[in-house]
Amino acid sequence: MVNREPRGHTLPLLVTLIILGVLLMTFDVRLQGGGVVGVLRTGTQTIIAPVQQAASYAVNPVADMIDSLSNLSNLREENIILRRELAEAEASLVGVRDQLARLEHFEQLYRMEAAGDEIGRTVANVIGRPDAFDAALIIDKGTSDGLVVGQPVVDTNGHVVGTVKSVTRGSATIVPITADRQALTVIVGDQIGSLLSQVATDEMRLEILTAREPVLVGDEVLTSAVSASFPAGLPVGVVIEDAVPSNDVLSTKVDLFVNPDTLRLVVVLAWPPDPITASSGETLLPGGTSTTTTTIEGDGS
Amino acid sequence: MRLPKGLIVATVLLFAIVTQITLFGQIRIIAPDLVMLVVILLALTRIRPELVLGTAFLSGLVVDLLGSSLLGLRAIVFATVAYIALRTKERAEIGQFAVALWVGILTLIGVVLLVLIGTLFGQTSLLGPNVARLILVVPLANLLLGGLLGPVFVRVVDGDTTAFRFS
Repeated sequence: MVNREPRGHTLPLLVTLIILGVLLMTFDVRLQGGGVVGVLRTGTQTIIAPVQQAASYAVNPVADMIDSLSNLSNLREENIILRRELAEAEASLVGVRDQLARLEHFEQLYRMEAAGDEIGRTVANVIGRPDAFDAALIIDKGTSDGLVVGQPVVDTNGHVVGTVKSVTRGSATIVPITADRQALTVIVGDQIGSLLSQVATDEMRLEILTAREPVLVGDEVLTSAVSASFPAGLPVGVVIEDAVPSNDVLSTKVDLFVNPDTLRLVVVLAWPPDPITASSGETLLPGGTSTTTTTIEGDGS
Repeated sequence: MRLPKGLIVATVLLFAIVTQITLFGQIRIIAPDLVMLVVILLALTRIRPELVLGTAFLSGLVVDLLGSSLLGLRAIVFATVAYIALRTKERAEIGQFAVALWVGILTLIGVVLLVLIGTLFGQTSLLGPNVARLILVVPLANLLLGGLLGPVFVRVVDGDTTAFRFS
């Protein structure tokens, strides 16, 4: 039974609100998240951020406990795999240390110095997600830690996660590549292609428009030097379907290394090294202050 | 001393938004939409319908601003759901089970609208790998919470301890 009693001005008000909503969506699409919409977004996030961070201190242990209980069987399997990987990693670490010592020796011998292309890294905790349908991640680092809109984000293994969409003083919103409307420029072997998100799956579609050779299962997909959003050579995923070029075009599926839903820690890369090229400038700190937790040498181009 | 309704509603909405982002943002197996739940339950209170619609729209705007999707998407969805809730609230006033079912159905309408309107505006990220599961899980979670908390919410907001007491 639907209530057909007159309800004042609810219907005209609803129509007005819908029109207003459509206008806002149109503005957002046209401004691509910037301008007034960007300012509103940053303002709201700045207001909510302290409450959110305080709540996350209380909520994180509860969330961890429920998460652990629900994934108990998976955790056991994961633990066994991780122990095996740790043993392998420790073995290879010995080899790497030896190579580093030799490298240092040669650098001293030839009086070489670092090229200055280090990429600053900011490790951040994932403290929330907007809602069940929004794939974005909210992290506990912001402009006060040197974060800028557009910076690339990877997981602790260096696998590509996404980019910083908006940033406040103490928090930032990350959009995973699976939820990004823009394609990611990648390289498979020596062929450059685009990685696009697909509907109702976490696999992505790889399209190479100037394909010369086939792409095989297990081929690693890396970020390309052509990419404007990521430094070159970051691992993205693996090809899961053989594909051969047809009229120079090749299309296949890629399984990503990262599942954004399970991330608790991410690493924001200070890339490009000059943040002015990464942002329009409105999110920069006065004087371009940058605070990073660690600094590593990267292969950024 | 009774607290003003506006303050109660604002506090509950803030609590819902923060809990949604933090707790349910990390526990992905339980996925209610708390803000939509509050918006639906507001229709059961004695707050003026125009204010319910306005509150629903503003709550949606805040959720949109906190996320990465289009500004206005959830605002439209929440306002529409609130309107349907206002038009059909008599169905929920017959018992606690009816409240739960009513909340569940309205949430289902809401999430389907969200996906449909979002897709029309190119928000393919809404159609993630778990979209089919979420379309079922979110209304079910809201159904349970609505049944449990709905009557209490109405009593607190209206300041009427006799409201929604079913014999």
